[in-house]
Amino acid sequence: MPLLQIKNLKKKFDKKNILKGVDLTINKGEVIVIIGPSGSGKTTLLKNINFLEQPTSGEMNFKGHLINLQKLNKQNELLLRRHTAMVFQNYSLFKNKTALENITEGLIYGKKMDKNKANQIALKELNAVNLSDKKDSYPAQLSGGQQQRIGIARATALDPDLILFDEPTSALDPELVGTVIDDIDNLANKGQTMIVVTHLMSFAKRIGTKILFFEDGQIKDSGTPDKIFNHPDNKRVEEFLSAIAQDK
Amino acid sequence: MSFTGTVKALLAGLPSTLFILIVSFILSSIIGLFVAWLASQSDKFSRGLAKVYTGLSRGTPPLLMLLLAYYELPKILQFVGINANDWSKYFFAIFGLSVGFGGYMGEVFRSAFESVDRSQFEAAYSVGMERKDVFKEIILPQLFVIALPNIQNMFLSFLKATSLVYVIGIADMYQDATSLANVHQGVFQLQIFLVLGVIYWLITVVFDYLFKLYIKKHDYI
Repeated sequence: MPLLQIKNLKKKFDKKNILKGVDLTINKGEVIVIIGPSGSGKTTLLKNINFLEQPTSGEMNFKGHLINLQKLNKQNELLLRRHTAMVFQNYSLFKNKTALENITEGLIYGKKMDKNKANQIALKELNAVNLSDKKDSYPAQLSGGQQQRIGIARATALDPDLILFDEPTSALDPELVGTVIDDIDNLANKGQTMIVVTHLMSFAKRIGTKILFFEDGQIKDSGTPDKIFNHPDNKRVEEFLSAIAQDK
Repeated sequence: MSFTGTVKALLAGLPSTLFILIVSFILSSIIGLFVAWLASQSDKFSRGLAKVYTGLSRGTPPLLMLLLAYYELPKILQFVGINANDWSKYFFAIFGLSVGFGGYMGEVFRSAFESVDRSQFEAAYSVGMERKDVFKEIILPQLFVIALPNIQNMFLSFLKATSLVYVIGIADMYQDATSLANVHQGVFQLQIFLVLGVIYWLITVVFDYLFKLYIKKHDYI
């Protein structure tokens, strides 16, 4: 059974259709990479998956729980959010919390863990991203790369079934991208299920078990990295990839 | 009339001034937080209520609020069967100032709330936190720090507004200065009020310093 199955997910803002009926299935251990032009609805799709934005309609099956997306309730929201985690483009660390507290908040208030256990897990996760010496630093005292790696530690500490990455490197200085990519690579190697939105094509090709080309609120093409990057069905994929290649 | 004698006489009213200042400031902050919360609701009734109260509170002089609290509130309470005739003048002073300044505090908190980065909500919800915990742990502490410079301004305005309580006969520093000037038939009036001004100024310097220390400690946001 798939970990997550979405059928005909639609999202409207005012009268504008942002997501126009998205079908998506992800199995345990898979890494789905979503590529596509800016403004195509990739971030909106991620935020609809964990209900940070309310979908207009559609169906979801998460670990066997059927959810009617038109009739979301608090239980559905918490079910999704407490089994998933998200890494944001602009890090979105809690500004009033230290690096350690940024990680423990979700464990204490989301997973209802006691503080000592939460601290132990947070320290372990900070160690994993080589930032245990920054445990008492506030986000404003950290570099962008360090903030994003703490964002990743905050996500992995929750031991989620699925992590959603929203362009995790696009706000970083070029020399800081590598460390964040390494952390995400490590997660993929450990079998973590992920959906990653990125503009880094070499990274997408290497990490993705499946690539989705997203444009105009729809999946226009999908397949293995080899298929999408070498023999795409949709001509727009070729145009998009060659435009990106020219930018480099 | 000696300088130290004047200072001593005026400082006799300091506990009253500080008591009214602190209690009414805390209460107006609570009112302000509630009004800011009402103003952030999606339903028109709550937002309308917040708007009307804020308009009235900001549009009327604090002196009028104090007089209304002292002379009219007992009548309203009497109407609902509560006898407030023997209640302390401090109650009415604190009530008048708190309600009079609640609208200003509401605006301080509302603007701070709107300045909290929306991504902080998303990040908190994404780790499975519930709304009440998101507010308690993430939003309110940030809102408070953002609002601090305005809270500091309001606090100092409040300090000066406490001198109005003399109109309902509370012996604060201003009332002490008036009495002292009257005792000397107004001969030393200028000197007495200059000393009073210096005392108020010194209190603002102390509170200003304390606020700055606190803001410096929280400048990581």
